[in-house]
Amino acid sequence: MASLRIKEHPILTVDQHVPEIQFEFNGKIYTAREGDTIASALLLNGIRTLRVHEETASPRGIYCNIGHCFECRVTVNETAEKRACLTPLEDGMVIHSGQRLPTPFKKGEE
Amino acid sequence: MNQLVIVGAGPAGLSAAIAAAKNGVNVTVIDEFMKPGGRLLGQLHEESNGIWWNGVDEATNLFNEAIEFHIQFQFETSVHHVKKHSNHWDIQTDKGMFKSQALLVATGAAEHSIPLPGWTLPGVMSIGAAQVMANVHHVKPGHHGIIIGINVLSIAIARELKLAGVQLESIVLPSCNLLNKEASQPGVVFQKLAKLAHLAPSPLFKMGGFLTNKLSFLEKLVVRSFPKNGLKAWGIPIQIRRAVIEILGEEKVEGVKVADITPSGVIMKGTEKIIDVDFVCIAGGLYPLTELIGVTACPFKFIPSLGGHVPVHNEQMQTPVEKLYVAGNITGIESAKVAKAQGKVAGLSVAHDLHYLQDHNAIDDAVQHVKKMRDHALIQFHPDINKGRNELNGASITN
Amino acid sequence: MNEKDIIICRCEEVSYEDIVHLTELYQCSSREIKLRTRAAMGYCGGRTCRNLVDQIVSEIKNEPPADNIPLTYRPPVRPIPFRLFGGE
Repeated sequence: MASLRIKEHPILTVDQHVPEIQFEFNGKIYTAREGDTIASALLLNGIRTLRVHEETASPRGIYCNIGHCFECRVTVNETAEKRACLTPLEDGMVIHSGQRLPTPFKKGEE
Repeated sequence: MNQLVIVGAGPAGLSAAIAAAKNGVNVTVIDEFMKPGGRLLGQLHEESNGIWWNGVDEATNLFNEAIEFHIQFQFETSVHHVKKHSNHWDIQTDKGMFKSQALLVATGAAEHSIPLPGWTLPGVMSIGAAQVMANVHHVKPGHHGIIIGINVLSIAIARELKLAGVQLESIVLPSCNLLNKEASQPGVVFQKLAKLAHLAPSPLFKMGGFLTNKLSFLEKLVVRSFPKNGLKAWGIPIQIRRAVIEILGEEKVEGVKVADITPSGVIMKGTEKIIDVDFVCIAGGLYPLTELIGVTACPFKFIPSLGGHVPVHNEQMQTPVEKLYVAGNITGIESAKVAKAQGKVAGLSVAHDLHYLQDHNAIDDAVQHVKKMRDHALIQFHPDINKGRNELNGASITN
Repeated sequence: MNEKDIIICRCEEVSYEDIVHLTELYQCSSREIKLRTRAAMGYCGGRTCRNLVDQIVSEIKNEPPADNIPLTYRPPVRPIPFRLFGGE
């Protein structure tokens, strides 16, 4: 399927020659560009699920994209709970999505 | 110690910083985002003279001017608390504490959401999220999407997405529940659309422009005969007689279930159908983001025409709390131009209160400019903004 | 449409049905709904759903919104690590 990157725009200036950078997400290597956020880089690579709900494991992705909703929080280079939408992507970044956590004190769990 | 800390580097924060610094005040601006501009960054629309208002350029110009006046910027910094002391403010952030004589909170607005089944699925996002993705990061929110919620913001951003090459199925209503009694009513939505007639070049929209609240029978006629497939604005069908009932998908959005609705918003059984989309935008409108004011002693006023709870303040953008100022959408939802004009007033007020301001007519002139910008705004977010503003000014006198 | 399937608080996964049901049952404030259900009490600090909770309560009790903010703001307004409180 065609790339989601906007390559031309009738009004906005779209720079075609931005250097590419590589990053790792859940153990796989992907490519995006300097100036991307983690959120835009993952979307560009077709990744919509950034974490799962800690208790129910329902998949979550970008919702507000400006740091209000905290739905896109991921672990970046071992720092947990970084908002993907507010974090600029850097070359060699290692990103992990949030996982389901055990809920030992909740009734009805195995 | 700083003389002025501004939270928010949007149009209000940047122009306040410039106005204060021009008069000799030492200013630091803090923002969570990695670049300046705030909500300016997404904005792109055609003015009535055919010239494009490009928020990215606007933000760059303001930032360059701010740099000339040696304003300090702290990006990627989140403020989590502000505390008033006898002669200064503590501003607590994830990058440490800032101290300042004066504090301006210009945190703008947040988006209302429209909850419906499936809205936590990846691929469902606020309309502002899609705007920032396309216009700031130059990544399309998806290949083919649908927008839920018909209002001034959703129509403006739909056009922007279209310009960016994004395919949009249509703009439709949310299905009715306690949370969207008005936004799910074709009649109410049509009335509001009619006031936007100048924005959308469609004959029926233009006709809508002649309607007034008193001509409700004509409105009913128009809503009843409103084509089910909608009227197109810039090639995007606006369907006030159709609602999304459910967002479908397992791991991410795969489609939506829509149905036709009666003029009063009731779902017509048997009209349900499924439309394939890979993203959904939710457009619930904006409300002032007041949380940092909420942790101070500043009182609030509930004014629907301004978007909900707003901090009490006067025309000089002073709150009843000493050395606490507000500007921009935190004071009520209006255009970026109004926010910028308010920012200037706030910056001058700070300069005045810190005994830096030489030109004592400057504040009055800037206050007049805010009113002028308000009257000339292309997009009025609410028809009763002036009434709301007057109510707020009244409250600031009694406080 | 199943109202159980409409999530109001995304962080704590509290449903529309639960909030409506409890408000009708107890005729209570949005603060009480917050304490009973954890809606608006999750990771985001209620930024996404506090208005929704307020609105449901206000509609059911037929009380127009007052000037005071029903679900008061408390610091920190952003989640912060414990070390910022001075501990280790």
